[in-house]
Amino acid sequence: MSLVTEVVVPRYGIAWYPWAVQYFFLIALSYSTLWLAAPGLVLGKPAWMTTARIALLACVSTTLVAPVALLADLHQPLRFWHFYAHPTPWSWMSLGSFLLPLYLGAVVLLAWLAWRPALKARSRQDDGVFSRVAGWIAWGDWQAPRAVLALVGAGALALSLGIMVYTGFEVAIVKGRPLWNTHWLPPMFVATGVIGACGLVLVLNRISTLRSADTNRQMLAVLVGACVVTGFIALTWFLDGINAVSGSVAAALDSVSQSAAWRGTAMEGGIAGVLLAVLAFVMRRSAARRKAMGWVLGLLALHVAWMFRWVVLMNVQTVARNSAGFHDYHVAFGSYGLLGIIGIFGLWLTAVLLIDLFVPWREASSDPLAGPLAEPDASLSASIEGAPRHG
Amino acid sequence: MDPIRRSLLGQLARLSAGAALIPLSSVASAGINDQPPRREGDPDKRYGMLIDLRQCIGCQACTVSCHIENDAPLGNFRTVVSQFEVEEQHSGDVATFMLPRLCNHCENPPCVPVCPVQATYQRQDGIVVVDSDRCVGCAYCVNACPYDARFINEKTQTADKCTFCAHRLEAGLLPACVESCVGGARIIGDMRDPASEISRLIDKHRDELMVLQPEKNTLPQVFYLGMDERFTTRPQAEAGIWDVLGMEGKEVGYEFGH
Repeated sequence: MSLVTEVVVPRYGIAWYPWAVQYFFLIALSYSTLWLAAPGLVLGKPAWMTTARIALLACVSTTLVAPVALLADLHQPLRFWHFYAHPTPWSWMSLGSFLLPLYLGAVVLLAWLAWRPALKARSRQDDGVFSRVAGWIAWGDWQAPRAVLALVGAGALALSLGIMVYTGFEVAIVKGRPLWNTHWLPPMFVATGVIGACGLVLVLNRISTLRSADTNRQMLAVLVGACVVTGFIALTWFLDGINAVSGSVAAALDSVSQSAAWRGTAMEGGIAGVLLAVLAFVMRRSAARRKAMGWVLGLLALHVAWMFRWVVLMNVQTVARNSAGFHDYHVAFGSYGLLGIIGIFGLWLTAVLLIDLFVPWREASSDPLAGPLAEPDASLSASIEGAPRHG
Repeated sequence: MDPIRRSLLGQLARLSAGAALIPLSSVASAGINDQPPRREGDPDKRYGMLIDLRQCIGCQACTVSCHIENDAPLGNFRTVVSQFEVEEQHSGDVATFMLPRLCNHCENPPCVPVCPVQATYQRQDGIVVVDSDRCVGCAYCVNACPYDARFINEKTQTADKCTFCAHRLEAGLLPACVESCVGGARIIGDMRDPASEISRLIDKHRDELMVLQPEKNTLPQVFYLGMDERFTTRPQAEAGIWDVLGMEGKEVGYEFGH
């Protein structure tokens, strides 16, 4: 036996900054909320319409802001056009750079088609600048058939599958970071993304004052399902590891056994995840509890989804590959750190507020021909002022 | 690390040192994350490096000359010599182990297929380079390299790495690290030329040569002679370096902590 001590080793910084966490977080919320909007919006299920409206707002806002975070993580953001000048079909990141704008376009188109009837209705009201803007956004006096909306929705859903696959495998193929190098990472990104998306819809349901009981019930049901799936994936990953199939688990166990910070993180993640699953399961059963505590659970779900990405993308980069121990990483205050994190959330909030200001998203419709009030909804009609004028 | 795993890694290291001499370029195909075709460089050559650890005294002359030749920012290194203190626990004897690190110019480089804009590529002579005019600085390659051979150069804001001093090789010179090595520990050359020094040394020491992290299947083309198997992977070592912070919390240097 011998004792080895490092005397001279270089220090290696991290290569992907918190911008990457923000991108992976927002894009996961984006594709997950799209699927939450699908039953109401694309399939036209009336019971899911309120959920679909909130989810569509969440989807559009996160889809618009996510690429900004992605761009910011490039050290040469103005060279983004190189992605399109030099297409590289063997690189996951290059494939993503082509998928992402298509996906963004499909989501925006879908939202626009869903919002158009309400926008047209608002443009006919006498509401000053808001009516004018609504008229501009609605762009013309035509009506798209329901089939077009369903088709665009199907296209967006198909592209979202591409986003799920590329964001997952982009990270999972990196053999240089054993913790990432597992086939269970892509499904884990999706499962925790759905958890976060349910959380976001629950929170928006509360702060938008829609407070739909249906939405609370549906989101908690999906949340419980996503928690079960997440737990199952985590367990399978772990079992793979102790059966020596995956170096990812060995690396994780190494980190946890060697570092107090990793033990703390593992503990926090475990507790937050289990707490979320238990609370979701308990609250799901009572309408009163769902109404009172749904948004709190939503915040916890968002925390779990964000922290998972932080641990996977940031903490894993601090695990040294060629030297002992862990690299020091402290979140900087500037745009590579805290300012970037807060800035992206601020940008998202701005996007939500602007949409809320100029778009009557609460009246989004699954059928562009039916008009905004074709589906009477008790919880909605109270909040729509001036609606009777269109009777 | 347990002895069985260690000896397995050692065998792997030896095995791939031999296998890596077979050109893999024919394996290139169009699947996602497969190696793209190589471009530029002399197709009749395959550069590689052999580092005779028995000759390395850890003077860091290579580190310094590389830093000057290639103008790397402070704190980033295209090559560096890791140094370890190894204490035999029974006898208390202490020895120092030197491990020069640089880009391995792998036969199956994981950094190349990940690049989204083909800014990093492998030349036909095996040298892996970065086109800093094309690089978008996504740092995907930095994460993909298991050897920490790449970094983002803060001056150019693009990926930076060892190029075997390709600019010097083309001018008929040796790389800065080879030229400055006082012990002659670093030998670079064309492995396709059977008469080259590196070819002769590889032939002579084939069974003793090892590469870093052979289990990653990157087929490194920097071969170590006199290597200890325990150092081919992340060493099971005590971290000995601590940052020294000034009164205002700013870093002023390093201190050896033991």
